[in-house]
Amino acid sequence: MGKKITIDPVTRIEGHLKIDVEIENDKVKDAWSSGTMARGIEVLLQGKDPRDASYVTSRICGVCYSVHQLCSAYALDDAFGANVPVGGTLLRNLVMGAEYIYDHILHFYHLTALDYLDIMAIANYQGKDKDLNAVKDKVVGLVNKNDTYPLTPRYEPDEFCVSDPDTVTTAVKHYIDALSMQAKARNMGAIFGGRQPHYQSIVVGGITQLPDINQVLMFRTMLDEQKKFVDEVYYPDVIYFGTDPLLKLAEIGLGGGHYNYLSYGALQTNPPNNDLLFPAGVIVNMDPANIEVQPFDASKVTESVKYSWYKESNPLHPSKGETVYDLDKKDAYSFIKAPRYDGTAMEVGPLARMLVAKNPTLIDLVKKGVKPGAVARHACRAIETKMVVDACYNWLDQLLTEMTKPGFKIHDTDHWDPPATGEGVGFYEPPRGSLGHWISIKDKKIANYQAVVPSTWNASPRCEKGTRGQYEESLIGVPVPDPDNPINVVRVIRSFDPCLACAIHLIDPQTNEIKKFIVE
Amino acid sequence: MSPILGEINRRDFLKYSAVTAAALGLSQADVVTKVSEAIAASTSKKPPVIWLEGQDCAGCTTSFASALNPPAASIILDTISVRYHETIMAAAGYKSEEVLHATVKKGGYVLLVEGSIPTADRRFCMVGGRPFKEIVEECAKNAAAIIAVGACATYGGIPAAGPTGAKGVRDIVKNKPIINISTCPVHVDHLVGTIVYYLTTKKVPPLDKEGRPVMYFGETVHDNCRRRSYFEEGIVLEDWNDPKQKNWCLIDKGCKGPDTYSDCSVRKWNDGLNFCIDCGAGCHGCAEPTFYAGMTPLYSDITGKADELKEKTRLGSAKQLTDKQRKEV
Repeated sequence: MGKKITIDPVTRIEGHLKIDVEIENDKVKDAWSSGTMARGIEVLLQGKDPRDASYVTSRICGVCYSVHQLCSAYALDDAFGANVPVGGTLLRNLVMGAEYIYDHILHFYHLTALDYLDIMAIANYQGKDKDLNAVKDKVVGLVNKNDTYPLTPRYEPDEFCVSDPDTVTTAVKHYIDALSMQAKARNMGAIFGGRQPHYQSIVVGGITQLPDINQVLMFRTMLDEQKKFVDEVYYPDVIYFGTDPLLKLAEIGLGGGHYNYLSYGALQTNPPNNDLLFPAGVIVNMDPANIEVQPFDASKVTESVKYSWYKESNPLHPSKGETVYDLDKKDAYSFIKAPRYDGTAMEVGPLARMLVAKNPTLIDLVKKGVKPGAVARHACRAIETKMVVDACYNWLDQLLTEMTKPGFKIHDTDHWDPPATGEGVGFYEPPRGSLGHWISIKDKKIANYQAVVPSTWNASPRCEKGTRGQYEESLIGVPVPDPDNPINVVRVIRSFDPCLACAIHLIDPQTNEIKKFIVE
Repeated sequence: MSPILGEINRRDFLKYSAVTAAALGLSQADVVTKVSEAIAASTSKKPPVIWLEGQDCAGCTTSFASALNPPAASIILDTISVRYHETIMAAAGYKSEEVLHATVKKGGYVLLVEGSIPTADRRFCMVGGRPFKEIVEECAKNAAAIIAVGACATYGGIPAAGPTGAKGVRDIVKNKPIINISTCPVHVDHLVGTIVYYLTTKKVPPLDKEGRPVMYFGETVHDNCRRRSYFEEGIVLEDWNDPKQKNWCLIDKGCKGPDTYSDCSVRKWNDGLNFCIDCGAGCHGCAEPTFYAGMTPLYSDITGKADELKEKTRLGSAKQLTDKQRKEV
């Protein structure tokens, strides 16, 4: 039995996550991922007006709010029989585009970069750059005042940390710049989303914000600024780190996991045409030399509750799942259920999307020795951010064309009132990975609601077969030379961009009510 | 285990500084000078802040991080000393818990709480192996000021409509004044303005009966609504696609502006860019203690105000009026 350590809370993620690892011979031998907070969002939706769902599910997560709002709206569109006009779809896509840009930038700089930088190396910066010296003065000033919170305390830098003063100082400057850029990107989304965080305009049938030309121009101007930052700062930073200072981490494929990948596919490039920016597909037990992508079959998704705080049952499709809460269950260790595809644990998110798409830039990086793992995940976020920026220009052009046509529409007003009964499902690919919302309506009210979210896939505990979830599997073999300083563990976990508030929202401890979901 | 910067005695500090000095590439002579300077300055003057997250979505944190004027980076690095914030801090695991304990022990910090507190079973929110309720109670004891941030921490918010017995801070901490900055999520101006008010005056700003700063929550959204004249005339929006209706009253789409106290209509959101009513969605009452359970269904008129309009307006029902208005235009 190796030494067991617990990291609780895992910080710089969304939500409350606990990671236990067993260490033997300086490496992780086994790992357990536990979600430790629950609110019961889906349960409280029961009996409510179905139109509330997109508003309330936005609050599943305050970092990736628009994704739940949009996915929920798609499930409602399906259940209401609403046909979203092309204008509505374009506006929804632009709101989502802004989400991609801010979310990926925020994740790289503010949630994960500190794991790779020896920030105190800034004091050794000797260059003449005015901006970089301002950064140096700021950090040295904090050190002199004996108050470097929240940059310290920290896990101590290890041999993989970048300590070259020029690189670190530049990275910290970009960290500060990026804080404003992500805020501006979110404001860009609020032009059509109404306000942020928690956009307001996304409803069943389309969107409530009838745009004017000036708003389109404002979006484009703000997009220009984002494109400049993405092209000249974010993307080069990620590729530089991945292929130079962090190449060693990339080459050992730190945090690889199961090598199974899933993407539901999303974002119509030219609505109503069905071409998708991110295609759907499944890769099992990937061979990097010969990537085989199978079609995605929604019926093969099941959820296991063997090690989750829910009453024991066989793995079931989410649409037919039963959820009975059991906080005292033996061997259970998480509020997160264990979704599996065809019985297999999958990774979802940027790496999965780019592998399923066989993205040439990623394939090129793989040829250069970057193995699928933590570093590749960061690279894929940067790659797809560039794709989304380009797509946004395309959507803006289409929107202008649509707006100038007579009878331009953003909403299906004929399907605003809830149907007496209905079933709906929405599949989506937000930044963190594959997301599904299911709704069933009876007597014009929500009878049942369920979401299976990206972090449910990635952060899942073991299933009934004992197969680890993707976080857990990706930690196996990770070097931890000093158990007091498990920096590689948090590097791997943060590379997934965890969103724990998203992953846990299902339970009903009061009534032990069985929730049933039936989707055609 | 390394000592915690900011909460250490002189001997520890010297020891730590030697380590830091090596990392910084400073000579021992430099260290002595710097240490003397640091101690002469009796360490930082920045007020310590603890920001707890319970049953939250991090939306209030994200809202705070969207501050552009002043930028969030300058608030974090120049104005306050963020000792504990799960989403921002570099530390994790025991390192982060150590800072929390040390800061609480010393006292005198501003406590910000985001997210509700489960009371049905303490296991619904555990952080660092401890129930969140216990953490809030402990941190409240030595806090100089307590600010509940956003709908969940103030009054329970959306989770209060669920099964976990979610409560606001005022239901847990009884013996201290609590500043409630509601709305879902918190408005960054309301939050930063309140923090600065406290740091400047060391006083709690004047509050309304629900504990909200009057300077931000003194009037209803309806009082200053730019669609107000259409409301008075009973002209309501029916079709979001119709450019003629774009600015008409949203009461028939469920707008809760008349019953919601907040300055959103004047201040708007995101540096004045847009807000719930401007984008055609209407107000959903997120500033009120009754949110969400008392505001649902969000997209229907639940107070009968649309019906009142029918009685009041001499031209007939709101719906008829809309038709008439449409013909006139």
